[in-house]
Amino acid sequence: MANVAMPGGAAFSRRDFLEGLQGVGGTALLMAGMSALGFGIDSAAAAPPTLSGGNGKRVVVLGTGVAGLTSAYELTNAGYDVTVLEARDRVGGRSYTARKGTRLTELGGEAQVCDFDEGYYINPGPWRIPYAHRGYLHYARKFQVGVELFNNDNDHAYINFEKGTGPLAGRPVRKQEIAADTRGYATEMLAKQVRQGALDQEFGPGDKELFLDYLRGEGYLTRNDFRYIGADGRGPDVDPGAGLDPGPGKPSKPHALTDILHSQTWRTLQSVAPLDQQRTMFQPIGGMDQLPAGFVRNLKPIIRLGHVVEKISQSPESVTVAYVDRRGQRGVVTADYCVCTIPLSVLSGIDLQVSPKFKEAISGVSYALVGKIGLQMKTRFWEENHQIYGGHVYFDDPVIGIVSLPSTGWLGPKGVILGFYPHGAAAAQMSAMSLADRKAYALAAGQKVFPEYAQSCDGSFSIAWHRVPFNMGGWAQWTEEGRAKYYPTLLEPDGRLYLAGEHLSYLTGWQEGGIESAWQQIAKLHKRAMAQA
Amino acid sequence: MRARTVAGAAVAAGALLVAPCALAQASGAALFSKYCAACHQAQGQGIKGAFPALAGDALVQGDQKTAASVLLHGRGGMPNFSEDLSDADIASVLTYVRSAFGNHAPPISVAAVAAARGGASAAQDDQSALPGH
Repeated sequence: MANVAMPGGAAFSRRDFLEGLQGVGGTALLMAGMSALGFGIDSAAAAPPTLSGGNGKRVVVLGTGVAGLTSAYELTNAGYDVTVLEARDRVGGRSYTARKGTRLTELGGEAQVCDFDEGYYINPGPWRIPYAHRGYLHYARKFQVGVELFNNDNDHAYINFEKGTGPLAGRPVRKQEIAADTRGYATEMLAKQVRQGALDQEFGPGDKELFLDYLRGEGYLTRNDFRYIGADGRGPDVDPGAGLDPGPGKPSKPHALTDILHSQTWRTLQSVAPLDQQRTMFQPIGGMDQLPAGFVRNLKPIIRLGHVVEKISQSPESVTVAYVDRRGQRGVVTADYCVCTIPLSVLSGIDLQVSPKFKEAISGVSYALVGKIGLQMKTRFWEENHQIYGGHVYFDDPVIGIVSLPSTGWLGPKGVILGFYPHGAAAAQMSAMSLADRKAYALAAGQKVFPEYAQSCDGSFSIAWHRVPFNMGGWAQWTEEGRAKYYPTLLEPDGRLYLAGEHLSYLTGWQEGGIESAWQQIAKLHKRAMAQA
Repeated sequence: MRARTVAGAAVAAGALLVAPCALAQASGAALFSKYCAACHQAQGQGIKGAFPALAGDALVQGDQKTAASVLLHGRGGMPNFSEDLSDADIASVLTYVRSAFGNHAPPISVAAVAAARGGASAAQDDQSALPGH
């Protein structure tokens, strides 16, 4: 494809540009013939396996994240005699909520106590539930854990990109302006090509006219000559209202295409296009720890907190888990089977009696570096002064990534903002900072967008998951090679040891992966137990 | 992010022509405290049972390609930095780690990192502003 000549001599590939449009609408799909939009990931299973006849066979479950809780709940209901060991003094694993008094000390870090007011919280781990994650929603329904909408895309939020150039770089710009203008210019350009006959070979009878109709509507182009001169959806300079003043208000003019392109802001437009980012998105009312709490309400008292696994050994007849409890007492649990949901990053450091091949596979995946900070704000200035209700403000500083406004407590007195969400090397960088420096870094970034930001903050809680004991990472990051070489090994039991968790799914980093992995693994376990009964 | 990393690498590579050891040390030390120290600790002593010590470690001081592979591909709980750090950055930080904390191993070249990466040396441009979870 030819490059578009830009003022100043810069050349810009049209394909680069069009690829940024995925999130705007179906435009890119038509333009580039992209099937890539289909890469979002739906979950495959809608309900747990139907199991019965466990007949008192003993199962020890390690870990109380959603994979462990799912395993324990379903196996108990199927008649197994289940014991659950949890290293921490709470259940939930990464399905976690930080609120007033929550304590966390990262490895090599300072002691931290969450200083939010009563009733306010941040979800430092998973925070949003895609509609396609039917396993999660199955248990939310079953345990009557209420959910509310999570606003994953806000047209009126800002983009604050500093690394581009031109008048739209280095200042907050409303996303709706960038979306409308980008879509307008792209459709205008394409309409021009189509009308000149450049794409005639692409069309069958009657296609061309329909496609032009589509482009005109898609880009809000002028009726007769297909020009983009602005769109209502980009927001007016003066809002329409009553009477004559403001009366009809004053429409706004589009930004120049070159300014949009060079600001790089258009890169944000694709961000919520993948299937697992689409509307409808949910969050549990009251915090992510509510689903684990729902499991606990419905499980017999079989969970032993503060039990750290030291060793897993096996004989032909049984599996034995050695632990040390919070008082330093050592003990063992012997069972017919073990379902181990300990993250591989942690499991690789535990003494395991498994085959060399299995042991090697456990170390065959790396874990995501990722972190978050919750910032409690004295007022909801983003709502009151900026008319932004939930959604994300985008930054091209990778240590910030996004600032996300809460989808709960609307119009209330206070709120907790997600102040950064860095990944990879940027998360490593964040985690090297002291708690105070992390907060200061987050506040300085937010201040560039909201003048009220730093002065409004009266509480914070930050986390770097790769430094959290018993997690040692955000989620499993399989490479193609690891998927081929190690993943299949870990899906099969080693002796009487079954692994489960998000790391054994293609929904890594999602609770749904943990739940559906548990369903698969306990179904395998049950089939074997029944065969041996 | 990419642009900055690449620019930093270019500076480091240029500097090597002038005073190889001292400047590689400075750049490597800065990269270490920025990206590595949070887990492996400031003196490379690690945290027992969680993050391996780099001081005195055989793998760190061993084969160049193996050492580079750990940063490029991850290992156990260790993440991979292949998309975040350039080959020059990886060479620089590894060279530092191999000579700091009482370690005594020769520098690692950019070419050795590129070889360990297996051809595709350019970091991919991250198009997505919103992380996937």
